[in-house]
Amino acid sequence: MTTFAFATDGRGAARVSVQESLLPARLARLIWIAPVLVALVVTTVYPTLFLLALAFSKSTLGKPFRGLVGVRHFAAALQDPIFLSAIGRSVAYALSTSLIQLAFGFLIALIFTSLLKAGRFLMSLVLLPLMTPPVMVGIAWKLIFAPAGGLINGTLLNAGVISEPISFLGHPTLAWLAIGVADLWQWTPFIVILCFAALSTIPEGVQEAALVDGANGWQRFWHITLPLVAAPLSSIYLLKLILSFKLFDLVYILTFGGPGFATTSAGFSIYRRAIEQFDVGRAAAETMIYAIVIGLATLPVVRLHQRLERRDT
Amino acid sequence: MRTFGRHLWLGLAAAPIVGFFALPFVYLVAVSLKSKDDVLNGHFWPTTPTLANWPAAFEAANVLGFIVNSTLVSLLAGLLTIALSLPSAYAVLRLKIGGKWLSDVTLSSYMAPPIVALIPLFFLLKTTGLLDTRAGLVLIYGFANVPVAFWLLTPFLRRMPIEIEQAAAMDGAGPLRTLIEIVAPIIAPGIVATFIIVTVLSYNEFLFASAFTFSDATRTLPVGISLFQGDRLVNFGQMAAASLAGIAPVYLIALFMQRYLISGLAHGGVK
Repeated sequence: MTTFAFATDGRGAARVSVQESLLPARLARLIWIAPVLVALVVTTVYPTLFLLALAFSKSTLGKPFRGLVGVRHFAAALQDPIFLSAIGRSVAYALSTSLIQLAFGFLIALIFTSLLKAGRFLMSLVLLPLMTPPVMVGIAWKLIFAPAGGLINGTLLNAGVISEPISFLGHPTLAWLAIGVADLWQWTPFIVILCFAALSTIPEGVQEAALVDGANGWQRFWHITLPLVAAPLSSIYLLKLILSFKLFDLVYILTFGGPGFATTSAGFSIYRRAIEQFDVGRAAAETMIYAIVIGLATLPVVRLHQRLERRDT
Repeated sequence: MRTFGRHLWLGLAAAPIVGFFALPFVYLVAVSLKSKDDVLNGHFWPTTPTLANWPAAFEAANVLGFIVNSTLVSLLAGLLTIALSLPSAYAVLRLKIGGKWLSDVTLSSYMAPPIVALIPLFFLLKTTGLLDTRAGLVLIYGFANVPVAFWLLTPFLRRMPIEIEQAAAMDGAGPLRTLIEIVAPIIAPGIVATFIIVTVLSYNEFLFASAFTFSDATRTLPVGISLFQGDRLVNFGQMAAASLAGIAPVYLIALFMQRYLISGLAHGGVK
């Protein structure tokens, strides 16, 4: 059996040539990756083709594919100010909250790294928000922001700071802020863990050498630590960006897209059109538009990441 | 003395951070112990703590059933994900089947938001008669988390010394036997971490579950809890109690398995 050849990754070890002509052997090799191929077909290839077909046809949730309508759904979606502003909000939200969380998470990771053993203990505490179901995260923060009986309003009222409760979730800007805080609470731990790992890859000697050369704390951070972790930081930002574009659960629980359409994210808007209004043709077109926007919005970050990776190697 | 002073500063900086991350959880516990009037007076802790919310929450909705559904679905989906992704990740990395394009395509498939797959998967489940069944959710989650598992398992496989596999091959072990009997036990911590993470992802998932299940027999916990804030009851105490009951299984896993979890997440994230 020389059909299967072990090859070291990156070390350029000799790779035993595969006997391409043997059909059974090739099939045997294909079986290894068949599970992932099936998963890709079910979760990616099929949905994409299906959406494409839906987007150009007259379809409802009950009866899909009732005749072609051309680009009507796309035209309608692109002329719908509510949908367009939902996309704009989603992009602005993802880009900004990911950056804030990256900065906050990196800062916490720096503190935890300096605390050594205690830092590792704190890390396991900080892991809990990440494990919490987003729906429950939403409920916990809803209790904190609630007008009657909420923690913030209760505290401020009892302290005499305000005389009337503030409706955090009923105010367009404050509602976004509430979603942002809940998101920050849930996802910063993930960034802390990844930054912690990135920081731990810095060789200790580098810091000590700089210390000997008389570099102060800020200089060491700016000229040594930061450049060394720039590539991992860019990949962490990219990852969080991708996760932020999926925003749905927190909107559903905290605001249900309101007040009005103020906190309706693109994902939530598509969900309502498909599941509540049954207009899946239009929803499919909107999904395709959103996917293209995500691709365009993440492209600069992908480029930046590739440049930093190349610089490191 | 300088290091002591520095640690004091760092400790002082860490305290509010820990406080911020603990706050919602502690407040949920406090609210779950409050009576209806107590909720409205706006104090952090209950003035007269009561346990009445806990049995009331379990009576008001089928919370126990939701927990059973979620646990069953997420564990089976987790097993399915590992079974699907471990051989493929191994094959791509060590047997050089599929090559880089496969891992690239697999990872980039995770970039699209799940809303993309919502409508097509709805029709797929409807056609196969799996809509509103737990089996349908198991299949969807099992498939959907493959990219995550692929991403988390690869670094563990990569760091395994190739010599062990080569020795096994020389002893006449086929690749499948090598994977099951030699490789899997060595990277067991990585497999455990990956299994926990994909299982928790399924346990917490809301979008698919809310669209694909619509009866009490199949609803998962996040869906069941989300209904709490609809017309059924707007009792903060019961909502908090039900939420805590649902979080408990995940937190127990997190506490007992934290070592695996942190290493799994950390190795997966940074190459």
